[in-house]
Amino acid sequence: MADILSETVLPEDLKKFEKIYHEQLYKNDVTPKAQFEYAWCLVRSKYPADIQKGIILLEELYKTHEEGQRDYLYYLAIGSARLKEYSKAMNYVRSFLTIEPGNQQVLSLQQTIKKKMEKEGLVGMAMAGGVVLAVGAIVGVGMAIANKAK
Amino acid sequence: MSAGPYNYSYIFKYIIIGDMGVGKSCLLHQFTEKKFMADCPHTIGVEFGTRIIEVSGQKIKLQIWDTAGQERFRAVTRSYYRGAAGALMVYDITRRSTYNHLSSWLTDTRNLTNPSTVIFLIGNKCDLEGQRDVTYEEASKFAEENGLMFVEASAKTGDNVEEAFLETAKKIYQSIQDGRLDLNAAESGVQHKPSQPGGRPGSAAGGDQSGRDNCAC
Repeated sequence: MADILSETVLPEDLKKFEKIYHEQLYKNDVTPKAQFEYAWCLVRSKYPADIQKGIILLEELYKTHEEGQRDYLYYLAIGSARLKEYSKAMNYVRSFLTIEPGNQQVLSLQQTIKKKMEKEGLVGMAMAGGVVLAVGAIVGVGMAIANKAK
Repeated sequence: MSAGPYNYSYIFKYIIIGDMGVGKSCLLHQFTEKKFMADCPHTIGVEFGTRIIEVSGQKIKLQIWDTAGQERFRAVTRSYYRGAAGALMVYDITRRSTYNHLSSWLTDTRNLTNPSTVIFLIGNKCDLEGQRDVTYEEASKFAEENGLMFVEASAKTGDNVEEAFLETAKKIYQSIQDGRLDLNAAESGVQHKPSQPGGRPGSAAGGDQSGRDNCAC
């Protein structure tokens, strides 16, 4: 069970980087490094609320710390995709690719997101197929009753 | 693909580690896509790739986590070491500093993985013989002293790239066969897929399907 969008952070790792971040926050001196490490763990959490929080921290970094912008953009895309906010995720991927068009890692992420979207699209179609079957069964039962009545 | 839910019997987790710019992502790309990435930007965080290989008639899916070499990612990438069955530790034969840092990479690996983890040392860029900065003999001695497997390889020409990934898998498979690797341990880095009734005996060795992010689990 693994790919870049489904692997999850270990709770002890999340706690470790959360502690560092909070200590710095308490002293009112948060370094971009501590904020990024904490955010990177948050967007890999299995809880959507954590991912959301990670995205907010990454957005803040993106606006204030130019040096790491490609890193923030990449993990913003991952966080959004994990929240199933696919159009947002694809926007982040696209803005990354306008700066670095041939970046394999990001092209590969784009593929993974597309596959995930397709997979979830198929689930929808399978449900529609189930409805068709159910309607068919009702019609079949109806016909059987009609035949009996003859 | 028609053989039920899984077309492989085992999953092995690998990590690729080493200084920045030694060619970790290029080795992964050469292995999964059989292509050389000429202009490779720095990896962000971690990258992921998979390929299905065959060892002793068993199909094995390799799940490979390629870690960023830049120092600022190191604290978090360490958490990917856990549960790795194989670790490919890479240096660049044309840059001595990348070789000098191996002991620190090795310490991390030993501390964060388990005793049965297979560590394979790769001296990359062996196509650049004219710029060589570390001799084969020296690295070979280092590998021997530390109980590591070792080759010099080139992600550019593809030399020894397959070998490094496949030999690591063979060694892991051997550990399973010998009972040295406990499949039930949470951090063995190996998952068995019992729903698959083993490999097909008739199939030729060396067959593979490659693909990046081709995840069926």
